[in-house]
Amino acid sequence: MYRFFWRVVKAEALKKHRTTFHSKLVYFSMLIWPILTFAVAYFTYKPFKLSAGAEKVGYLNDNNLVIFILIGYIAHMFFHSLVQSAWGFSSERFWGTLELIYLSPASRLAFVLGNAISSLFENVWLFIIFAIMMFQFYGELYFPGIGLTVIGTITLIIPAIAWGMFLNALFLFSRDTRILFTILEEPMELFGGVKLPVAIFPLWAKIISYIFPLTYSIKILRRIFLKGEELVQLLPILALISLVTLIMIIITILLLKSGEKYAKKTGNMALF
Amino acid sequence: MRTRILYATFKRNFIIQRRAYPLEFFIGKILSAFYTVLTAYFMYNLLFKGQLNDSFSEFTGTSDYMSYVILGGGIYLFVVGTFLNVSRSLITEMRTGTIDSLMIAPFDRVGYFFGNMLQQTFTTSMEFLLAIIISIPFGINLTGINIPATILAFLISLVAYFGMSLILAAGMLYFRDTYISQNTVFLAILLLCGITYPIEYLPQWVQYISHIIPVTTSLNMIRNSVILGMGIPEQLNNFGYLMILAILYSVIGFKLLKRIEKIALENNLA
Amino acid sequence: MIKTEGLSKTYVTKIKKGLFHKEKKKVEAVQNLNMVINKGKITGLLGINGAGKTTTIKMLSTLIEPTKGTAIIDDLDLKKDANEIKKKINMIAGGERMLYWRLTGKENLWYYGQIYNIPKDILIKRINKLLKLVGLFDDKDTPVERYSKGMKQRLQIARGLINDPTYIFMDEPTLGLDAPIARDLREYVKKLADEEEKGILLTSHYMNEVEELCDYIYVLDNGILIAEGSAKELALLVNDHKILRIEIDELSFELEKAINNICTQFSGEVKYTRREQHAEIYLTTKEDVSTSIATLLTQYNASIKKFLSEEPKLEDTIISLARREKNV
Repeated sequence: MYRFFWRVVKAEALKKHRTTFHSKLVYFSMLIWPILTFAVAYFTYKPFKLSAGAEKVGYLNDNNLVIFILIGYIAHMFFHSLVQSAWGFSSERFWGTLELIYLSPASRLAFVLGNAISSLFENVWLFIIFAIMMFQFYGELYFPGIGLTVIGTITLIIPAIAWGMFLNALFLFSRDTRILFTILEEPMELFGGVKLPVAIFPLWAKIISYIFPLTYSIKILRRIFLKGEELVQLLPILALISLVTLIMIIITILLLKSGEKYAKKTGNMALF
Repeated sequence: MRTRILYATFKRNFIIQRRAYPLEFFIGKILSAFYTVLTAYFMYNLLFKGQLNDSFSEFTGTSDYMSYVILGGGIYLFVVGTFLNVSRSLITEMRTGTIDSLMIAPFDRVGYFFGNMLQQTFTTSMEFLLAIIISIPFGINLTGINIPATILAFLISLVAYFGMSLILAAGMLYFRDTYISQNTVFLAILLLCGITYPIEYLPQWVQYISHIIPVTTSLNMIRNSVILGMGIPEQLNNFGYLMILAILYSVIGFKLLKRIEKIALENNLA
Repeated sequence: MIKTEGLSKTYVTKIKKGLFHKEKKKVEAVQNLNMVINKGKITGLLGINGAGKTTTIKMLSTLIEPTKGTAIIDDLDLKKDANEIKKKINMIAGGERMLYWRLTGKENLWYYGQIYNIPKDILIKRINKLLKLVGLFDDKDTPVERYSKGMKQRLQIARGLINDPTYIFMDEPTLGLDAPIARDLREYVKKLADEEEKGILLTSHYMNEVEELCDYIYVLDNGILIAEGSAKELALLVNDHKILRIEIDELSFELEKAINNICTQFSGEVKYTRREQHAEIYLTTKEDVSTSIATLLTQYNASIKKFLSEEPKLEDTIISLARREKNV
């Protein structure tokens, strides 16, 4: 049974890869877009006196601004690529291949997982290389030891995949994906704290921030790599992000089940 | 003949837009303008408590950061709108299969593209106005505006955006791609043309590139006219330069399109 | 009259070989095509093996430029007077393309009318006339996306007539249509040629359609014109044998012998099928043997139920043409 599950995950990831990477332009865009976005964010800081910001956010200074933003964008890329993948998944309905998926005995969760994993790794690796080069260049990255590095990576990848699966499931049954995209994608960059630390937000904005799992991931990464916090200090937020991830996975499974049930009843592959 | 095609295309796009893009699309655009302004507001007021580097006013002649960014965002809305509508027009016809029935007619490109342009300017102006209204509580300051200079700057800018979008249209037809080309161009403009920061912060060699892109000069002129209240005589150099760029881009755009159109029609034979 | 003179089109495609190396490959889509399309007639363009029909139509409709040769359309040269020619021609293609789905039927026609710069008062009348003609007048204010396939196809025809063209190029106009709708459409095409004196160039996959409609047919194979003529003439070109299908009450062995005799004499073939109530004879011969067989049948007092001399179908013609081309 497990074997079958992973076979579907693999097949879906491969299919996704082949359908997305039809031309060299795609690779080009994968590297160039994040770099441009990062550069825009970097220069947006230029008009300001960084020392003024340091009053509110102690660890922000001229030296680590690049790293601060880079961490934000790496995390954002993970989550962002999954929104994109989910959006692409909704085209399955358009091409009529969605029904074929439902025709098969394969696990629905496997499809969603395969799709999420594929777009995650495709989109991220080039930017990671760029980021490592930048870290080298600016050399202010605090190395917290292997253990915390692994934990940091896990707290980025697992919630990102869970988020992607959740969106996949959501988009699978939604007729109007554009509105979901507007609600879930665009504000993520602002409220997730990619460019700006969430700490400075007014209360209402903070509340929105904590809806996005990205917020927790970025926070953990910055606390590990910029502030150099220890595992003990991180435990509460690690527990929190585990809980959030678990909730997302449960909702995803429920969505997939009820979505298919609904589709069977109405003969219509659309929930909303 | 030309004006008829212009009007017909204008009306056609208007109807299509009314039917095809419901309110969500409009809301989406307004929301993204809102997020941009909100980000700037948080950054300026909450993170940095209104403390700018001296270099900012040195480069821009003002310390009114919010007006600076809001205007930048608004103009960016126009650039994006023009590209999305004018640049994509022909390739969209290709995808819907209407390109053959258009090209078979004694059909005038200039009227066609102007029609597309006019319709999109109309729509984006609505969005722009709404975005400005939303921005009032965030502190946009229009009291010093020089109206004739602003209007003229805006009109020349439109021609310049039009020319740029023709060149992009040729690129899209050639690569048979819209998604990647358009987003790359959007990001490049965001980075190079001084939408949210003065280009003087960029490395010197990059600034040379910025100056060949009409959006940079166009933004300078509009900000000078709106925020600093500069008149037409004081900006003659800028006006002249942008006018030359606008004409150059438009001429090259039309020439390129004419050549690539042929290739596209042949490739369309599947 | 449209007369093509050595019309040719060569495509150059680049094939990637390795990272930087590209190889050019020439594809001769149409070679040295000479054909004539007359007003008031329907001219067929048939193709085998991906023949270059669409390329020909697109060249004639000024969408792509010929590499060599040209066409003269009512004294206008395809290469020099493209803009004047555009006013005289239009194209109708099968499928659901060439229309704006978000616009209504009427809005579509209006838009295309503007592009052709048709005077306002004439345009209004013509739109109404065309909508009635293709039976869409009641649905004129419905967006095309809600039209059925047949309705879209009919609107397509109205669009193709919006500039009142002298010549109409139809590329698979009945593709994917239900049989009754396709039949209506065929009748309508006939009317356009007979009553409105339009010159029509028609391509189709349906041989019956071409056989039924076309006055003259050109057959293309790999871009080369391999045969032309009326459907009958084409049939004679390849099928030089005659077919007789006979049904009689009773078939005696003497009669069978006698028929066999004639058959061998004219180097033909014969097949007999005996049924409970009657017998069938199927005879193919090089020459017409119907008189001698008829005489034979009367001699043997056979009561004839059926006596049919059959023409070979255009479909058979094209198939054997295709075979012949392959073998060469």
